[in-house]
Amino acid sequence: MMWSALTDGTRRFLGGNGDWSGAAREAAQCVGFLEDVEDELVADETRSCYNCRYRRWTESSFICLRPGG
Amino acid sequence: MTVFVCIDDTDSLESRGTGELAGLLALEVEKRGWGRCGSITRHQLFVHPDIPYTSHNSSMCFNVSMPEEHLGALTEFAADFLAGESAEGSDPGLCIAASERMRQPDLLVEFGYRAKRAVIEMKDAFELASETGVHLSCHGGTGQGVIGALAGVGLRLGGNDGRMRGSLEIPAVDGVARVKELLEHPEVDAVRTMEGASPDLEDRVRLVDKVKTVLLGGKLVLLVTADNDPDGVVRWRSCTRQQLKAY
Ligand code: SF4
Repeated sequence: MMWSALTDGTRRFLGGNGDWSGAAREAAQCVGFLEDVEDELVADETRSCYNCRYRRWTESSFICLRPGG
Repeated sequence: MTVFVCIDDTDSLESRGTGELAGLLALEVEKRGWGRCGSITRHQLFVHPDIPYTSHNSSMCFNVSMPEEHLGALTEFAADFLAGESAEGSDPGLCIAASERMRQPDLLVEFGYRAKRAVIEMKDAFELASETGVHLSCHGGTGQGVIGALAGVGLRLGGNDGRMRGSLEIPAVDGVARVKELLEHPEVDAVRTMEGASPDLEDRVRLVDKVKTVLLGGKLVLLVTADNDPDGVVRWRSCTRQQLKAY
């Protein structure tokens, strides 16, 4: 389980901000992945939660804003 | 004179990014013959639950070499441009800092670094803008983007933060170019390894992914890392997105 559910209905990624393979795995299984603008891409693997428009960085990880994830 | 233009918080989940808007603004400045624009740099700011950024908390800054007489027109145009082109629901801010009118640039640099690690209030940004003689304005929403816009100018002035927006087009044979060829590009001031060493001018560099520079020591630096070429002909490769994330 890579996520922690937050009270506002969003989810926090438990892999932190350096789990490149975990973030790619989650995005591979997600129908909502939407590639962010090029300036904001950070992962080499394009399909990654770290490159998704729905991720909002936090200090140590990110939150997925997509309803239902 | 050199003028720094920085914008922040112009985007939303569905809109184009702040970087694209900065690029369009730079194009308009050149089209009107006001000056020549340099590279756009992206500066990452603090991400914290108390900072209500709409899409990305990063600001975009570019420099313009221009005569002072066009500064008023540029400022007015940039303000209208931001008000008209920013995404609905965003909180755009604009900072314009002219090198010759600026006072105590060190304070701006210090503010830029503070905005990377702490929550700052809008009134602090306006106070500093007035103290240092730079233009700072809000163009919609809460106007919260003024903090990032001012910080972006500070970080650009500091010369040790941010990566370039977009990527470089470099002529290469089979994706490989020599260091001296990379240095011929007008937007590359230096080529360095991640450890800070300078490769030989004749060394070959494999260009992977989008080739981007980062701002280090006031220069646009193309960072390279050791290549694993089995023949040993290509010594270096350009850094990937992942390797540049920290900049
Ligand atoms: S950030 Fe959310 S929407 Fe985007 S790919 Fe990851 S889980 Fe899916």
